[in-house]
Amino acid sequence: MSDATSNTAEAEADPTDCSACGTPLESGDLRCAICGKSAPVRRYDLGTTQVVKILRCTGCGAAVAYDPKKQAPSCSFCDSVVEIETLEDPMEQTGGYLTFTVTPEDAKAQLQRWLSSLGWFRPSDLSSTARVQELKPLWWVAWVFDADARVSWAADSNQGGRRSAWAPHAGTTEFVFDDILASASRGLSAAEVGVLASGYDLMTARPDPEGAENATIEQFDVQRSQARKQVSKALNEMAHNRVQQSEIPGTKFRKLQVSLVLQNLVTRRLSFPAYVMAYRYKGQLYRLVISGQDKTLMSGNAPYSQVKIIGVVGAVVAVLAFILLLIALAQ
Amino acid sequence: MGMAADTIEQKIDYKEISCQSCGSNLLVEPQMLTAICPYCASPSIIQRPPSENLPTPTFTIGFVVTQDRAIEAVSSWIGRSSVFAKSAFRKAAPELTRGVYLPAYLYNAVANSDYRADIGENYTETETYTTTDSNGKTVTRTRTVVKTEWRSLQGQHCCYILDVVVTASKGVTNEALEAVEPFDLRALRRFTPAMISGWLAEEPSRTQDECFQFAHGEALDKVGSQLKGFMPGDSYRNLQYETDVARESIDLVLFPIWSLAVRYDESKPPLQILVNGQTGRVGGKVPISPVKVSIAVGMVLLILVVGALLFGMAR
Repeated sequence: MSDATSNTAEAEADPTDCSACGTPLESGDLRCAICGKSAPVRRYDLGTTQVVKILRCTGCGAAVAYDPKKQAPSCSFCDSVVEIETLEDPMEQTGGYLTFTVTPEDAKAQLQRWLSSLGWFRPSDLSSTARVQELKPLWWVAWVFDADARVSWAADSNQGGRRSAWAPHAGTTEFVFDDILASASRGLSAAEVGVLASGYDLMTARPDPEGAENATIEQFDVQRSQARKQVSKALNEMAHNRVQQSEIPGTKFRKLQVSLVLQNLVTRRLSFPAYVMAYRYKGQLYRLVISGQDKTLMSGNAPYSQVKIIGVVGAVVAVLAFILLLIALAQ
Repeated sequence: MGMAADTIEQKIDYKEISCQSCGSNLLVEPQMLTAICPYCASPSIIQRPPSENLPTPTFTIGFVVTQDRAIEAVSSWIGRSSVFAKSAFRKAAPELTRGVYLPAYLYNAVANSDYRADIGENYTETETYTTTDSNGKTVTRTRTVVKTEWRSLQGQHCCYILDVVVTASKGVTNEALEAVEPFDLRALRRFTPAMISGWLAEEPSRTQDECFQFAHGEALDKVGSQLKGFMPGDSYRNLQYETDVARESIDLVLFPIWSLAVRYDESKPPLQILVNGQTGRVGGKVPISPVKVSIAVGMVLLILVVGALLFGMAR
């Protein structure tokens, strides 16, 4: 069927940008995910005169009709189905791996420094836990996006208040979002991502994972449509934060509303290198994460020995009591 | 009845096509994109060059609900209808007329609005008032009251208007289409003739201008409701706005609709009931029986009067 072949040709053609808002369309998009504009299509030639035709099955020549049970046009005789271009919603795939520039030795040295910084309050049996001292390389996943946003906002602020403590304010501004990272990682917490995010060089992205052996490679486990929702949500949060920081006058605000329109939203899917040391101690998970590109960026927590802390507090109290006693005796 | 049918037929400008399978000549209603040959049952598709008011459809949503399920859905919908519905209607069986791909426009735009409103900011004040106490003496007391200070606010608001659907068929009004919406637009497919083969499919019978105007109106309503949620303060009044729409796009979409007729009164035209061919949602206006309503109102009045009488006697 000629229609079927022309559809395949379109699917293979390079995705273009949305003609209305400049957001790139991806293969399998029928419409722009941001503004809803339909994707351009090379129309099959309709000619200039009216044509009456019967679509026939390429296999057996019987007429083809749409079948709601198969939700596709199908041949009533031989049951074969005609493929129609539908909205595709594939799982997200990483578009590149940033290389490790921190060597395992550097990371290990960093880990030792961190362990010793915990000092004496660490439980004494901690170092015998096998997983401590072992750093594992990991590539975690995130979306990185650029966008130009026109942001309108309205809020109450304490500036300009008369009888009421609040006065209404509103404004419009343009924000440029450049290389904003939105985590897609299930493994790392938001706080950990917050620490690591700033220290990566996006130019080091390679098609294959490089620079680490036996690394854990995290996958995006969401579909494209869900990913777009998460990116939109991240964008909205960013806009909210920026309005709070730089737009609203006064020192206090309430009832902030933000509405934004985007242009040129470009999203990349990338895998980011990190070293992770994770272990359980008495049923609780503890973890240290070091950036794979900047060893000074790290985030971690460790158990404290309650016995030792109580011991020290007890000792301090005892010493204070002893001193007080001495003073009392001296008088 | 027969006379009426004849006069209508004379006005319709039928298209004549010939079946590509058996060669018989068929008369097709002018706004149809498909035909089924009554002699050999072959599904024909009529393709014509697009024009301004008759663009080629961009997308379709395929039928999911089968004919049997559509009839079932309408039967149970009639069963669930109000007790005030005409008895004949509640007993009527739906007759299937057709499953049709209905033309409608899908509209998207960006709205930029200038608005102006009075924002109410609440504050509390302590005021003194005089009253008489239990001993009948006049005393002065204080109380806190919430007062509202009105501040004027003007600003700009920008937002997306997404997925407004307006009918392009004169046979179905927007209200009737809204009654069976929403459609799940994730199931949109690129239009190809194979999607409508074997089914009835209509061409737009309303002009693109008319549909554009309607979509525009709906877009402004959407902006209005977004603006209401956008206002700061404890309350607002006198909200006025002017909206410019940009980046408008409009696409012709064929939506799957089962259209059923319910004949409950020989002297009246059958009632049109639509079923969403994707979700099975039923929409239509239930004929209310004036007799039943009057009886109910009469009963309520009677009970009230009896109650009042009894109450009066008891005193």
